Amino acid sequence: MGVSCVFSYPVPEGLSGAQVVEVLQKQVETLGGIKAGTFLVDCETYQSVMLNTPKTLHILHNSEHPASCFAILDSGATLVADTLFNGLMSNLKNYYQARKGAKIESKGQRFQLSDFVLKIGSVSLAGSMKGVLVEVEYCPSVIAGDCWNLLKELLQSLKINVADPPRSLKPKMDEIYTPAVTMLQYLDHFNSFRTAAAMSQPPR
Amino acid sequence: MSDQADHILQSIHLVQKLRSGVGQVFKDLSDGISEYSEDPQNRDDTENQGKAEGASASSKESKSAQSSKESGSDKAEDQKHRAILKTLKKSLETISHDFSDLEKTGASIGPVQLFSNIDNLSLDPHDKNAVMHSQLLQSYKWTNKMHELASQAVSILSQNTLKRTQVPKFTNAKKQKVNMLAACQVPQASVDQLILQLDQTYPDSSISIHRPLGGCGIMQIELGHTLRAVVVLRGLMIEWVKVKGFGESFKNEDGQFDIWTASRYQVFQKVTDNAEAASLRFYAPAMPQLAIKSFVLWLNGYKTLFSAPCVKCGKFLLNNIPPTWRDYRSREPYHDVCRP
Repeated sequence: MGVSCVFSYPVPEGLSGAQVVEVLQKQVETLGGIKAGTFLVDCETYQSVMLNTPKTLHILHNSEHPASCFAILDSGATLVADTLFNGLMSNLKNYYQARKGAKIESKGQRFQLSDFVLKIGSVSLAGSMKGVLVEVEYCPSVIAGDCWNLLKELLQSLKINVADPPRSLKPKMDEIYTPAVTMLQYLDHFNSFRTAAAMSQPPR
Repeated sequence: MSDQADHILQSIHLVQKLRSGVGQVFKDLSDGISEYSEDPQNRDDTENQGKAEGASASSKESKSAQSSKESGSDKAEDQKHRAILKTLKKSLETISHDFSDLEKTGASIGPVQLFSNIDNLSLDPHDKNAVMHSQLLQSYKWTNKMHELASQAVSILSQNTLKRTQVPKFTNAKKQKVNMLAACQVPQASVDQLILQLDQTYPDSSISIHRPLGGCGIMQIELGHTLRAVVVLRGLMIEWVKVKGFGESFKNEDGQFDIWTASRYQVFQKVTDNAEAASLRFYAPAMPQLAIKSFVLWLNGYKTLFSAPCVKCGKFLLNNIPPTWRDYRSREPYHDVCRP
């Protein structure tokens, strides 16, 4: 368990997402990264039915923490529970219903690069590819503020320039890092992918 | 050799005879002497067989007892007693005779020629033990080889004059002993006091001491949220250093201290190497307290392990590893290859 940062990698015009992923994987392998399995982060969104002010609940899973289930409200309140929580949600279908066609996931290859773990995931929303997310994890450290510069330098060598830490990580830079923060970052990106998808679709 | 075997066989027979004689006496004593009441025919049979001297004698006695029976009952009673006693005496005599025989034969048996245990084992016909013999031979060879290698190692190591743990030499063993005593034999209380003092000196790191196995102390250092280190102290001498990440633990599943397992991260493996080197660098048997103090001060420089760039190249990462070396005086961070 270490500090993770998730960044969206822009897909330039004229290139497909799959090509970008391939280029990135090659770059990581040139740096000395070794393939170490695959990963999957998925997110399902539930909408409250009964309440006057509708509430949204996101249920996320991460293959790095296979026994856990992350439930995040829009406010950012996070609950980390066992995977049994999924069964609880199906019992709550009178109150919370899954939004249709909203399942979004990021999956791809996982690389080990000395003490770093790099994950290059292609994001797909309801089956169609929307973009590329790169997660960089530095395992030995537990304080994001300490190793932020290390992460930044590693990302630079991958030709990813970042100036500021991700929005959801920023207030937690000097705290002990928890896996829930990774999920918050993923959720941020997933949400922006969703809005982008909604914008591009012609209104019916 | 065969002579010896004959003697042994003979003495075994004698022992058997002696045992049966003694057994008979006890049986007679418990059951009563039976010959006395036997009828003459049986008596004759035993006589003819001539089994034992005592038996025939007692039968003769009982003959006379039979004859006296006719004369008077009182007399007969008296004779019965006598007969019993006589029988007993006879058989005891036989026993003592047998015993002296056995003693004689026993004296003639010399001490068995001394074999080593392993030879005896090889003679053992039992199947189960057959494997053991070859195994023992193998381990014997192994031990021999180890001995050989160890002596070679000694000859190579003795060429090196820089030593941490002194091998007492014949010339100045006494002097060295005194030197070692100063660093190693320190009362626990003063070690505890030093640790407490160190703990107070560095408010953002916690330093504690544990003694899971008595004498030797394990100093545990938690440096901010960056790393954990264990330092094994013999008295006030640093014997062992291991550094791990903040997320890792020095306790194994049973909750016991595990000072052997290395960190799973490359960074801390490097830091461990450097810390071991530093423990030798700061080794000062004459001033053990100062040695520990300077070591802890130096280790404290690793608080910025992830956040400080290399002084020489100005970068954070080199070969994907942050600067893991700290200068011994200035505690400035350097990459392994950037060292001045």
